Amino acid sequence: MKILLFYSLALLGVVGIAQNKQVLYGMEDIPQNLLLNPGTKLTQKAHYGIPLLSQIHLNVGTSGVSVHDIFGASNATEDINTRIRDKIFEMSSKDFFTATQQLELINFGWLAKNKLYFSGGIYEELDFVFYFPRDLAILVWEGNSDYINYEFDLGEISTTADLMTVYHFGVNKQIGKKLTVGLRAKLYSSMASFKSTNNSGKFVTRLGDNDSPNIYEHSLENVNMSVETSGIASLQDEENSSQVSSEILGRALLGGNLGIGFDVGMTYDITRDITATASILDFGAIFHTKDVETYQARTNYTLDGIELIFPPLANEEGTLPYYSDLEDEVEREVPIDTLYNSYTQMLPMKVNASIAYNFGRPTDGGTDCNCMNMSGSIPKNQSIGLQYYSVFRPKGPQLAGTLFYYRRFASFLAAKATYTVDSYTASNIGLGLVADVGKFNFYIAADNLLAYSNLAKAKSVSLQLGFNIKIDRE
Amino acid sequence: MKTNLSPVVAGFLLFFVFVSCIKDTDFDQVDNVDLTPTIDLDLIYFNLSASDFYDPATSTSVLTVSDTTELRFLNDIEVQRNLKRAEFYFKFTNSIEREFQADFQFLTPQNDTTYTAQTVVAQGTVSNPIITEFIENVEGADIVDLTQASKVIVSVTIPSSNANLEGALNLQSKVTYYVEL
Repeated sequence: MKILLFYSLALLGVVGIAQNKQVLYGMEDIPQNLLLNPGTKLTQKAHYGIPLLSQIHLNVGTSGVSVHDIFGASNATEDINTRIRDKIFEMSSKDFFTATQQLELINFGWLAKNKLYFSGGIYEELDFVFYFPRDLAILVWEGNSDYINYEFDLGEISTTADLMTVYHFGVNKQIGKKLTVGLRAKLYSSMASFKSTNNSGKFVTRLGDNDSPNIYEHSLENVNMSVETSGIASLQDEENSSQVSSEILGRALLGGNLGIGFDVGMTYDITRDITATASILDFGAIFHTKDVETYQARTNYTLDGIELIFPPLANEEGTLPYYSDLEDEVEREVPIDTLYNSYTQMLPMKVNASIAYNFGRPTDGGTDCNCMNMSGSIPKNQSIGLQYYSVFRPKGPQLAGTLFYYRRFASFLAAKATYTVDSYTASNIGLGLVADVGKFNFYIAADNLLAYSNLAKAKSVSLQLGFNIKIDRE
Repeated sequence: MKTNLSPVVAGFLLFFVFVSCIKDTDFDQVDNVDLTPTIDLDLIYFNLSASDFYDPATSTSVLTVSDTTELRFLNDIEVQRNLKRAEFYFKFTNSIEREFQADFQFLTPQNDTTYTAQTVVAQGTVSNPIITEFIENVEGADIVDLTQASKVIVSVTIPSSNANLEGALNLQSKVTYYVEL
């Protein structure tokens, strides 16, 4: 039990708003920016991601607790059990733990003769979110003795986990001087999916009244809980890990449950110095039809204990099987049904938006007055602006706001610094660096830099890096 | 553009390697984590009528009635390991004009007695039922004995009875389990 608890706490420690790539967003020097805004401005003629290395993304985080909060050595004078208990009560059921990992397998793009920039690729994604079920945590940690008549909310259980491969192809076009738009179509192949949301119900131990048969009434009230799984039941039947791996690989190659979705985005130069962008990502759904198992429990049930009826017995005759009868009653009254119905899973849609003021010296070798481009913006070597990000999660959107400063130091080197306020922290500083060495493009971005001096105190850490071949326009 | 960028890239990577660390933590503290929930659960209940202590067919008193139920969770290996204390609470409501002796005998699956508890229930009247509360606290070596048991025999003994005896004996009970995981 202690080992289980240790791993759970350790996991909580390492598992950001996941998927917010606030440092990369808007960095036009990086081809992967197309995945964050299909309507970004592009400077290259073509790009090819180095297979498996073009984007490695990891984001883990918690909104309520850090490893240091629990395992900190300097606060060890206080009993660890007191710290855990305090945290359980301090956190709310809206606190969450998330982890997102992406690995790009292939990424490519080219400017066609009709001035359309086509791009496509394949990436693998693992996405996990788990909301903290505060009432259940209290019940497990404290028991029910001090919580007579308290309604433990079982609806706080909310979690999803997805492992999928995404095949995507998109198009980007500059329309006129001011506007660039883009659209990306995505085909999702789900390898495994797990979802338990929209649960409801209460567990309560009430003190019985005059009509109650026993001291208490232990009640499950209006319980309606479900766990939807896809791609998991059949794996339990596989005999060894190599069979599981080959099965998962098959699903990665479009053999899983399929889904479709879209990304749209735009960039608009409001004035010569002010640029706005916006994108909507993963507007789509996965249709789970194969290897689907849904476990569902719906009940209203009250347990009163065991009633002895003292039957008249003769000749060593056994009495009634009260305990077995009770077990049968619980199984009958609290049934867990297994359903095999297909279900549709809406993907966590993300929204990005930004507005930037560009200043400094022009980067295209021109002057402030470019007579060839009277209406569009002039690329400058610095910009400052605001970004907005949201992702739709089971319990509503998770939001983040970012203040950023971008600077191009030289034609081969640019950097971006961000300050983000989100569910985890109000002191998230991020830094991104992109370098173009000849045709070789390298980038790295990380946030929560202040926390790197002690990751144990970090509530979220996000890191992206990758290598591309980029061929700039003449 | 020919530029040697390796120092920049290497510098950035080294920044993460050198500055990122996990410090001021003591994971050995996990050994001190004790989950100590206290759980209240209903146990048994019954309603005995005065007539249950007299057999009209044979016109004889039935001085002792008893019944048995399994409590299979009690000798579960996890319960044996983690249960530190159990506090039984019995609440008798008696409207029969007799005192009663109540016995609780805990048995292993092989019917060996591992733990017993008994109490006297005060007599009441039909117009004035009397409540007798009885608390049995089990801990230490006794809890080891108790968690060897998987069933309990409940016996209720009346000193005397007749066909005219009226009233009822009601029992409600719960157990508070003190668990340490």
